[in-house]
Parts: sequence; structure tokens; C-alpha cells
Amino acid sequence: MFRKLYLLYGMLVISSVGFAEYRGWSMDSMNQLKNVPKSVRDNPGSYRSIYSGYHHYTGGK
Amino acid sequence: MSSSPPLPPGAPQPAVKALFCPKCGAAISLRALGQAVSAVCGSCHSILDAKSPQLQILQTFEKIVSSDPPLIPLGTRGRIRGTDYETIGFQRRSIKVEGVQYSWHEYVLFNPYKGFRYLSEYQGHWNDVAVCKEQPVIDTRFSIALSANYLGETYRHFQSTNATTDFVLGEFPWEVRVGEQATTTDYVHPPRMLSREQASGEESWSIGEYMEGKDVWSAFHLPGSPPEAIGIYENQPSPVGPNIKSVWAAFALFALALFVFMISFDLHAKKEPVFSASYQLNTGQPVGEASFVTDTFDLSGRTSTVEVKTSADLQNNWIYLNYVLINQDTGEAWDFGREVSFYTGYDSDGSWKEGGQQNTVIVPSVPPGKYYLRIEPEADPRHPRISYTVEVIRDVPVNGYYGIGFLVLLIPPIMITWRAFSFERSRWSESDHPPMPILNSEGN
Repeated sequence: MFRKLYLLYGMLVISSVGFAEYRGWSMDSMNQLKNVPKSVRDNPGSYRSIYSGYHHYTGGK
Repeated sequence: MSSSPPLPPGAPQPAVKALFCPKCGAAISLRALGQAVSAVCGSCHSILDAKSPQLQILQTFEKIVSSDPPLIPLGTRGRIRGTDYETIGFQRRSIKVEGVQYSWHEYVLFNPYKGFRYLSEYQGHWNDVAVCKEQPVIDTRFSIALSANYLGETYRHFQSTNATTDFVLGEFPWEVRVGEQATTTDYVHPPRMLSREQASGEESWSIGEYMEGKDVWSAFHLPGSPPEAIGIYENQPSPVGPNIKSVWAAFALFALALFVFMISFDLHAKKEPVFSASYQLNTGQPVGEASFVTDTFDLSGRTSTVEVKTSADLQNNWIYLNYVLINQDTGEAWDFGREVSFYTGYDSDGSWKEGGQQNTVIVPSVPPGKYYLRIEPEADPRHPRISYTVEVIRDVPVNGYYGIGFLVLLIPPIMITWRAFSFERSRWSESDHPPMPILNSEGN
């Protein structure tokens, strides 16, 4: 019983990995947007990234 | 916990005879007439010689003490391994370990053609017990017998102790006595166990097989439900033990499948460089808007990943880039930021370094089309000039998924192995060979 469950579980994991890889999923975080105006191409400053003002580490050890 | 009465003598002679107790006069029905050696009066509990015509008294009691009557009433019929048996005898036996008394019950079953069979019960754990057909072989290489072999199976020594008969009822194929003592030795090979019993210079061996209480209840058509099993019994089969090898074998197959997937996707991934450009950020001379856009580039093929790689010539410095990957035609965009920072130095621990001069980000599920990047760099104004390169690569594999998949696949085998380990540990902690020495309160 447990073995059958594990076989199902394993196949689900393998197919999930395969599906994620095929669909080109990524683990990196980002913000997906729709309908960014075409004017950005001519005027890049008209768009402001949500990541602007990120607090940077400026030290080292 | 042993269950090994002596071998029943004589050939089966199915007969029932009604007699009277010579002490109290109560009627006694002998169900195994001709084969029972002892019988116990159900009224005064005198032990009688079932072989003598007038039921000679062998043992009497001033007071009858039994706080736990048989769970299977005497006279109940049931089917064990395809054969009908009648419950004709019941005894309670006990051992004393470190001042604590542990009691169990034994039932004598009888079939006129098959002879005697036994059931033992300890805290809801049942065993179907039969006398061994041949003498088991004990491993005598050590001072104590650590194993015994019976019909090609090796049984590990579990416990040796002295058992006392505390209470008897019904008929027995041996001369039963209350207070009788015997040395018992148990060997286990779950779900079976071998028991050796030595008393009065005689030795007998029996083989038991673990039974669930519900199976006993079903076999004897008993009302209600059996008492719940408490703890882990010495020959109780592990609920997960038999699965361990097959689950690990399945895990190995899945891990191999993951590896094959990884190689296959890696070989089939296009990994096509579609854009590359180098830039210079001059923070010392700010000239208005820092953001700019790249030339457009084609992302072809099916919906898949896009890797954006940033390399910067940094030394104890950082650069932060706000990226937006924009589809020129649809306006669909992915907004993300990446920092590249690299620091090195030397202190009392020696040389050290942090970060790196390269950063990679993978944009997920990008449909084919014409795209461009909007880039907005930021840097420390104290470092006036930073050179950096941006590369865009289409359809790269994400290997992290295989690592996650491997770990997720590993969880059930580890859990099942741990559960089996804990089960065996609990089992053997009750034996003469506990897994670890038991510490007293002073830690000795």
C-alpha cells in the first residue's frame, strides 16, 4: 500500500518537475506586468520600477 | 511471554463426558476426553486428574482469585487456519521483571482430529501458537544462545525469564498446577516467535505467529471489539518494515529518472544568446535620467525561460540594476532588480571575499516575440565609473527544480526508515538486548 502511494507520489513529483521545466518556470522572484505603455520605448523615464529605491548593502565583512 | 505447553499425548478421540467435581459436586463436561490430562472445576477451581475415572483432586484452593476472566469464553468455537477449534482451557501466567509483574493469558484450543492449539494474549497482542514439529537448532557459539534456527528461519533471542502459572480454568493436555514455574526463552523473527519452556527437567518448543485482535474476534465470532493493543509486542510485524527496501528501490528509480530528465532537458535546451551589450555607469557626472532601453531582440521558439546575466568589473563596490523585460508588441513585461556586489579584504582570520562580479536571473515562461530591456542602473556615487555587461539567453534549463524534486522524493523513504527504526527500537527496548544501556537516575 505504502509502496503504491509512494509510486504515485514519485510520479507526481517527476511529472511536476518535468512540467515546470517544459513550461519554463523559474524560482526567481519578479513582478509580471500587463500593458506597459509603448511610450517607454521612447521615454524610459516614464516608467518607474517597483524595485527602485532598493536598500543596498555597502559594507563587506 | 511464552506459550509452550507440553506435547499432547495419545490419538484424538472425539468425546464429551459429564462428570462431577469430587470436591464441590459441580458438573464438569470434559470436551477433550481421552486427551486432556488435567481439568479444572469451573465452580471451586479444584484441579482434577482428567485421566482418572473419578477425577482425582490434584490441587485445591481456599480462595479463587481471578480478576480477569477469559476474553474467549470456554466452549466457544472458532476457525483458525481453516480448522474448527473449541476453547477448552484458559490460564493466566506472569513474569516478574525488576519487581514489576507482567501477566498474559493462554487459551487451549482443541479439535478432536487435529489435537491441541493455543492462543496467547498480552495487552491486546495475540499469538496463534502450535507445538514445534521438530527441534529448533540453537546457536551455541556464545555463552547465551543468541539465535535459534527453525525450518530455515533464524530467530533472534529476545528474552529469557521465569514464568509462573497464576490461574487455570478448563482442560489441559498436561498436568497443570497453579504456582508452577518454568523457565521460558523467546526468540523472534516477526511475525513469528519461538518459545522454549523448561520445567521439571522437561523441555518443549512452540512456534507462535502474531495475530491481530480483530482476526481473533472474527475467527471466534465474538461480540464487541477486541481490547486495543498496547505498546509493541516482541513479534509484532513492523507496519512499515517490509516496505523499506521497495521504497528505497523506487526512490533510486525516481532519482535516476530525474537525472535523465535533467540531462535530456539540458541537451534539448536552446541556450541561445539573443542579446549582449556593454555599458558604463558614470555616477560622478549625473546627467538626468539614468534609465535607458536596449535594442530589440527576438525570442523564438515555444514559451520558455530567458536568462539575463549581468557582469560588472567591481572591486569593493556594488551596482544595482532595475530591469524590465518588455514585449514590444503586447506590452507584457517582467520587472525585476538585481545587485552585483563584490568585496574582498584581509583581517586577523586571513583574506576574505563576499559576493561576486556576476549575477544571473531567469525570467519564467516568456512567450516568443520581439522584446527589449529597460535598464535603470544605480551605484555608489563614491565610485565614479563602473563597466558592466548585460547578456540575454533564450531557453535555459532551471536545474534547481531537480534538486527540489530530489529532496521531495527523499522525504517519504527517510520518514518510513525512521518509523521502522523507531518501531524496532521500541520492540527491542523490552528485550534482554535493549538498543542502548538504560541509565539510572544518577546517570550510571
